[in-house]
Order: sequence, then C-alpha cells, then structure tokens
Amino acid sequence: MTNLEKLDKIFVEVFSCKKEELGPDFNKDNVGTWDSVHQLSLTSSIEDDFDIMLDVEDIIGCTSYEAVKEILAKYEIEL
Amino acid sequence: MANWTIKNVSFRGVTGTVPNHPVKTSDIPLFTQEEADTFDQTVGIRNRYWASEDICTSDLCADAAERLIAALDWEKQSIDVLLFVSVTPDYKTPPTSAILQDRLGLPNSTFVLDIPMGCCGFMYGINVAGNLLSAGTAKRALVLIGDTAARMGSKNDKSRLPLFGDSGLAIALEYDETASDIFIDMNTSGDGYSALMTPHGGYRHPVTAESFIEEDFGHGIIRAPKDALINGMDVFAFAISKPVKSMKALLEEKSVDTEKDVDYFLIHQANKLIVDRIVKKLKLNPEKVPYNLQKFGNLGGASIPMIMCSEIAEDLQKRPLSIVGSAFGLGLTWATIMFKTTPMKVLPLNLL
Repeated sequence: MTNLEKLDKIFVEVFSCKKEELGPDFNKDNVGTWDSVHQLSLTSSIEDDFDIMLDVEDIIGCTSYEAVKEILAKYEIEL
Repeated sequence: MANWTIKNVSFRGVTGTVPNHPVKTSDIPLFTQEEADTFDQTVGIRNRYWASEDICTSDLCADAAERLIAALDWEKQSIDVLLFVSVTPDYKTPPTSAILQDRLGLPNSTFVLDIPMGCCGFMYGINVAGNLLSAGTAKRALVLIGDTAARMGSKNDKSRLPLFGDSGLAIALEYDETASDIFIDMNTSGDGYSALMTPHGGYRHPVTAESFIEEDFGHGIIRAPKDALINGMDVFAFAISKPVKSMKALLEEKSVDTEKDVDYFLIHQANKLIVDRIVKKLKLNPEKVPYNLQKFGNLGGASIPMIMCSEIAEDLQKRPLSIVGSAFGLGLTWATIMFKTTPMKVLPLNLL
C-alpha cells in the first residue's frame, strides 16, 4: 500500500466517506462531520499509521485533505 | 510561586457517589447508532451517569461524605475543614460548603470554603486543605469534589453533552507527622479563559431573555449564551501541551524514574484521545495508567479521585503507593501532583 493509499484509507475510516470524495474541497467547512473529535481521531490515526508525532500546531492545522498532505510533507512522508 | 510542598498530611480515605441513571452514548438522542459507535471508539466514553433535575452535586457529595466519615469512625466534632470543590453549587449564594456543614452535622468551628475550579479541582482541593492542615492547627479535613456538569450545557450541543458525567467524591485528609511530602505544580493561563466558559449568568453578562436564544454553530452544536461551551481544538491544543510540560518539569525536579518510582499515573479523564497522547508524549508504561472514562465520562475535578475509587481501590487499601496525577481545565489551569499513600479506606461506589 502506498502512503497516499494509506492516508486515503484513514480519511475514509474517520469520516465514513467514499475515497472519491477526497480532494481540494474536502475540508472542515464542507464536511458536516468534521468536528474537533473527528480531527483528533484523524491526527491520531495518522500518527499511528505513519509512526510520527505531530506538533500541536500541525494537529490544529489539519483542517483539510490538502492541508494534511502538506503537513505530512514536513515530516518527510512522501505521498 | 508554581510549586507547592505540603508536609504532614496523609490521605485517609476516598469514596464516590453517582446518580443511579447510567446513560450510554446510543441513549443520547443526538446520535445515530453509527455515530454513537464512532464516538465510543474514538472518544472512549461509552457510559456516563447523569443526575435528574432534583439531584445536586451536594447531594452526591453528602452521601459520599457520610459513608466515608462512618467508615473512618471519625467523630464529626473532630472535622476542622470542609471544602466543596465544584462549579455546580446549590445556589449562587450562599456557599454550598456552608450548607453541607449543617447537613453533615459538622461543628460550627468548621472552616468551610467553596472552590469552583473545574477539572483541576482535585489539585486545588488537596493544595488548600493540605496547607490548612500542614501546620497542625487543623487536624482533619474533608474535601468534597463533584459536579453535575452534564446539565450546565445545551442538550443540543453534540460537542459537549456526551463528554460529561455527574458524581460526588469525598476525600479524607489528616494531619500526620510521619506523612510523605505532597508536591503540587500549579499553573494558570487566563488568556485562554474563553475556551471553556459559560458566557451568561455571572455579573459580566447577567441572564436576560437573550441568554436563552439558541444559535446553530454547525457540526451539531446548538446552544444559547446561558450554556457552557467548549472550544474543542483550543482545549485540545492546551491539553496536550501544557500538562505534559508541567509533569516533565516536576518529575525531573524530583528526579523521579517513571518506571521505578511511580506505581500509577492518574490523568484527568477528559477523553481518550487526550489521555492517550499524554501517555505517548511522556512515554509512560500504559500498565501504570488506569482509565475509567469509558464508565463515567469526564467528571471534572472528581476525575482523579474517581480513578482511585474505581480502578486502584484494592492497591490503595493494601499497600503503600506512589502516585502522580495530571489535570487541566477551566481558567485555563493545569497542575501536576505527586503523593504517596499508605493503606487507606476506599469504599465501593454508591448509586443515589
């Protein structure tokens, strides 16, 4: 499984969405279920699956699919 | 002064009372079964106890206190200090601790005090009572900690309602010259006060008709200004950073080896994601970190003493223990406590 597939799987599981929905518009404002609990669940799964420890600022910054990809790049996770 | 050392004070007993009304996440009308399952798995709170409108925190605390006093065989006349640590008093005035002095039949000489400090309530209660006892002027103290926090907020606020449970705990402390020191690190960041607050109802914004007008904030959050609110991400950012630094600093200052020198780490049971992260950050042995949020939810200041009652009661009764506690909440405040116990009374939980 590639890193991108791994990330998409996390999103699909956390937000109970379809993989096809993931893209530039998948963000906190457009996704009804994107509350703080789901965001924490998302970042927690990312940390577990990619074996990293996100900084607090990055956890707060994980507010969209695209933002998460940018943040993962900071941790040298190639997607 | 952030660090406190309390000498000559021993823990003698602890017990708790919860309302006889367990509520599963799926019982809460705001959730579908699927959402409830997701909440249970991610937040970790599967059950909580909610008091009916006719039960106050003081009722739960009084029940716990009466049972503890009887079990310790303490003469009521010998109790010098009564603290009521809660954000859900009976009335705005007078202090509930005064009402409890009479209700419990404690002497008129009892020093009473209400402490409305939320989730750090255990540390505030122990720090105040401990310092009052430390010189030996007062010999016995009851610290009553509890809340009926579930009904402080909106019943239509999905971000807050499922998190909290109701309870009343009683802790008995006694002057004891052989006691090990209690260390407490306490901190405040008042600039973050609005992350956890009830906007209307005080004298800054008294209750008016406007206080009852509900607003839809999206993401399942509908509340009025009279309702308590939680700004989830702000609280989370605070909860996973400041308490960890406080714990690290105190552990280092006291040269504590987290594996050899500590039997249990009791972390405020805000939600599983936060507690898990603190455990991970501090690289704590998970076997030393008992959880009870799945049974009770977030109990505010009563969270840590409830872990003592529900998860480590047998150990507390049988052998000396070295305990480190961490809490964070209203204010914003955060604190770390280190204390040693000798075998003490831990009574089974009661349902009221």
